[in-house]
Amino acid sequence: MRHPFPPNGTNVVVLVRRGLVALTAIGVLATAFELATERHWNGIEQLVPWIALAVLAVALALLLVPGGRGVPAARLLAVLVLGAATYGVVDHVLVNYESGALDQRYSESWETLPTVQQWWLAVTKTVGPAPTLAPGVLGQSALLLVLASVGSTRRREVEPVQR
Amino acid sequence: MTTTRRLLTTCAATVLALGLAACGGAAAPPAATAPASSAAAAEPTDSDDDTATDDDTATDDDTAAAGSKVSANTASEDEIAEALDSAGVSNADRWAEEVVEYRPYPSEDANLTKLRDNLAKYNPGQETTDKIVSALTP
Repeated sequence: MRHPFPPNGTNVVVLVRRGLVALTAIGVLATAFELATERHWNGIEQLVPWIALAVLAVALALLLVPGGRGVPAARLLAVLVLGAATYGVVDHVLVNYESGALDQRYSESWETLPTVQQWWLAVTKTVGPAPTLAPGVLGQSALLLVLASVGSTRRREVEPVQR
Repeated sequence: MTTTRRLLTTCAATVLALGLAACGGAAAPPAATAPASSAAAAEPTDSDDDTATDDDTATDDDTAAAGSKVSANTASEDEIAEALDSAGVSNADRWAEEVVEYRPYPSEDANLTKLRDNLAKYNPGQETTDKIVSALTP
């Protein structure tokens, strides 16, 4: 083969790290696009994912600071985003749960349904408008960023792919 | 450099694919709500109001008679809840919250299409939606 993969002299760790960084960036952009198409800005609570996205973008920039000086801060911010994503999933379930009585199929019977069934209908988005696991993509991007930072130290900069 | 170019090309392709996927996802909700609307038309459940009729216009008249309309854009949440309650909407407080959340509404849209589209996410049924809109003006 004239073009082996990885190419001769390639640092695989650096290559994987760059791939994780790229996936994080793609996750941020795709989530921003999806939030925009959903017009996710009705009220302060719906601005939370936008703030989390901004924080994640900052974390991404910190991760790319030469010398690895921004890695600890990037990890901290990623953990915060992870928390925001968890909050988002819980909040979406709650919104669906509170919307159960508004659904015409359950408006008469919602109060009489077993609690477990009410929560199941909310978690599965059978009732309510909120996609339950959608905020999880923020957490996934944050985890990718944390993974990209594994092995980074103050002295080890992001090395060039080919030495 | 070759590897970097490959990475950039791959990233660009992935972003494009995600963008297209996101477009598809954005188009999905209206399709998902369509059956709900059909079900609403086929099986209305909010039939406890004596003034309700099969004619939308008649429903509007009845509601107007029951209470005055309030502005979806400027009325307070309590005022909207009161108007909805007068129109025979069950869970009026909860619906008033939603009306306020999706502001502003175009002043030239007397049918409050934007509000109808957003309420459809909750699958309230055609009759309930009509009752809500009948109690409101832009």
